[in-house]
Amino acid sequence: MKYELVAGFETHVELSTNTKIFCSCTTAFGGEPNTHCCPICIGLPGTLPKLNKKVVEYAIRAGLATNCEIAEISKMDRKNYCYPDLPKAYQISQYDKPLCEHGYIALSNGRKIRILRIHIEEDAGKLVHRRGDTLVDYNRGGVPLIEIVTEPDFRSVDEAKEYVEKLQNIMRYIGVSDCKMQEGSMRCDVNISVRPEGSEKLGTRTEIKNMNSITFIAKAMEYEYSRQVDLIESGEKVIQETLRYDDVTNTTSGMRGKEDANDYRYFRDPDLVTITVPRSYVEEIKESLPELPEAKKERYVSELGLPESDAILLTKYRKVAEYYEKASEGTKNPKTAANFIIGQIFRSVETESEKEEFNVSVSAENLNELIMMLDSGKIKMNLAKSTLDKMLETGKKATELISESDMGGLDDSVLNDLCRQAVENNPKAVSDYIAGKEKAVKAMVGFVMKNSRGKADAALAEQKIIEIIKNA
Amino acid sequence: MVSKEEIMKIAILSKLFVADDEIDKLTKDMGEIISFADTINNAADEGVEFDNINNLSNAFREDEVVPSYDREKILKNAKDQDDGCFLVKNIMK
Repeated sequence: MKYELVAGFETHVELSTNTKIFCSCTTAFGGEPNTHCCPICIGLPGTLPKLNKKVVEYAIRAGLATNCEIAEISKMDRKNYCYPDLPKAYQISQYDKPLCEHGYIALSNGRKIRILRIHIEEDAGKLVHRRGDTLVDYNRGGVPLIEIVTEPDFRSVDEAKEYVEKLQNIMRYIGVSDCKMQEGSMRCDVNISVRPEGSEKLGTRTEIKNMNSITFIAKAMEYEYSRQVDLIESGEKVIQETLRYDDVTNTTSGMRGKEDANDYRYFRDPDLVTITVPRSYVEEIKESLPELPEAKKERYVSELGLPESDAILLTKYRKVAEYYEKASEGTKNPKTAANFIIGQIFRSVETESEKEEFNVSVSAENLNELIMMLDSGKIKMNLAKSTLDKMLETGKKATELISESDMGGLDDSVLNDLCRQAVENNPKAVSDYIAGKEKAVKAMVGFVMKNSRGKADAALAEQKIIEIIKNA
Repeated sequence: MVSKEEIMKIAILSKLFVADDEIDKLTKDMGEIISFADTINNAADEGVEFDNINNLSNAFREDEVVPSYDREKILKNAKDQDDGCFLVKNIMK
């Protein structure tokens, strides 16, 4: 029998606010243990939480960017569980009135992953388990999170991978989180079940907790899918449980019996007043949202005429897109800047995080200046390319590297001389060419380029060389 | 009413040890507490928003960092500490 994978995601995204959700301690990552703490975030009696306005704003931004409806009235609830990472023995979260609901993220195969809800909550502290005891650091306790919950709409591991990447890009574009999975500022829980293909009924699901890399998510999902299929095939039952994925052994194992929702004894947090969101405020936030990667990509293709593959590369990171837009501003052909960036500038940024930051030695303005020189015919493509390499190396401007005499290409008589010399100095290439090896002409063009220090127009030189050989 | 099983379940979730001879009394007491709390269900609640009686909303704080407390103060009331951390009994089984 064939089986279908059914999965849903719960993603925690740490918001990049300056302060924690209910107190004014810093959210900076790391720091000496328990130095980013105050009586509120270590849960001392008699303290009162006060909601960070920015957290509400960021959650609404995230909601709008994922096509959610924004609640007019929302509130905070207490989720009770007893574990030392929560000093109050409850987490302040949202239960039945989340800020955002009913959104979606569209995938490239045309399917939509529905987003059930996005709510705000506080992060827990960090535990370090030792033999016999546990150390608790509350620096992370109270850092604001949004939890993005999808419907069980995933049917393949590839869809899951694309979703996580898209979500990550969107959150970075709108500036609400850096989504660094390795630092834990984005973490995924995945609910997985399997069912016979064609069946409508959902199978028993398991939940894999706290995964912090797209590769692990994919591997864990694949493992869990085959484990569940094997169980069913051999007549056993899948037990509803919470699992941990071990990336060393590439297996999942049980964590603890899952408490039912009732056991969290959710109730309204009486210390925090109602959140009301005026429609005018939602509009204001909507206005301030940047163009999202998907829309940008489509515009690059339809309006600028870029190939889709270029558009994908240029829009994946917001800073790259901003760079491209500045560099191509006012230039004749949108493809020119795209080629320079993808072909040459990308070579200087290797890792994903370097692309994310996109701190390159050539500023967008300087690249734009170079392209303008090219457009106006002051320099030729070869010189532009070699100049860009020098600009990347030295950080200098094109005008500093190209002298007046380099501009305007070569005088026709100088080019004629050089071409003649090229033919005279390369008898082997000439005979190869005559014998039918058309590529042999490139060696002679190379000679011209070298001796004109890149100033010659390569296409024109090639034409002239062929003429000389033919007329000889 | 409350059943003995429910009392045991709550005790386990609350990490409380309940001796056998305490269960009957606890079940009776809890039942009485809950039926007392149930009287609120008889109140006329039409059109009354119970969970926001003071009608307050949007008490926000600006996102500005205030220096945190010295660690010595933060750890002052800790029962046990080590390496700048609160020290608790091992909770992993």
